[in-house]
Amino acid sequence: MRKVASGKINLSEWVSNYTEDLYSWAVHKVSDTELARDLVQDTFLAAAEKIEGFKGDSTPKTWLYSILNHKIIDHYRKKVKQPVKVENQVFSTFFDEGGDWKKERMPGNWNEDDEGHLLDDVEFQSVLKKCLDALPDKWNTCVKLKYLMNKNGDEICQELDISPTNFWQIVHRAKLQLRNCVEENWFKN
Amino acid sequence: MHKLFLSCLKATELIEKRIHFQLSAKEKLQLKMHKAMCSACSSYEKQSVFLEKGISFHKIPEYTPEDLQELKLEINKKLAEFES
Repeated sequence: MRKVASGKINLSEWVSNYTEDLYSWAVHKVSDTELARDLVQDTFLAAAEKIEGFKGDSTPKTWLYSILNHKIIDHYRKKVKQPVKVENQVFSTFFDEGGDWKKERMPGNWNEDDEGHLLDDVEFQSVLKKCLDALPDKWNTCVKLKYLMNKNGDEICQELDISPTNFWQIVHRAKLQLRNCVEENWFKN
Repeated sequence: MHKLFLSCLKATELIEKRIHFQLSAKEKLQLKMHKAMCSACSSYEKQSVFLEKGISFHKIPEYTPEDLQELKLEINKKLAEFES
């Protein structure tokens, strides 16, 4: 095994100084503590591997953040490229051949005026979460990306290397399913 | 069907597109006309925007100082393995 000739750099010092910030950042960006752990671990391992490339032009923290951010983007890139089995069934579930709503799947009345309070309702939040979790992984990620990455559609597509059409079509399917799930489990209950 | 008229499938697609991207002038007009005639898609739009709000309120998972300590130990262990 190659010895890391890190000169004056003491990686374990970086670990004690920067792990907290990196971890907290990763948790915010992926909304999953286990995954965030893995990403931060991989970040330090990658740093150890290419420590010679660290010239001190940037601060260690900036350098580590850039590695971590690459890992986060990579994670999302892989996720949005996953194939989804039910992809083509969604439209035929909700629409007839002419593209009109099927009667039984038509959006019902949610009493829109009360919606403001609903978002504070713990039970409603839990129904929404259940419905989000029930989506295929890739769709779940795509509907959350805007808020996790804090970016608009064009930026998301650029970073993840997918076409805008592809992206909003995924979101379209996801939202059809999500809306229906929330209606079935909350408004009709 | 006339070119300007959208199906509900297409109208809901544009509703989702608009949440993340700009619509063209033609698309805006098409969607407006469709919603004027279709109460189901009008409801869909309100509900979809509402769901976006709900999604944006998502809770960031919490971790404890112990989790963090454990992570640091784990990383140091991995680094030690890597360096030996």
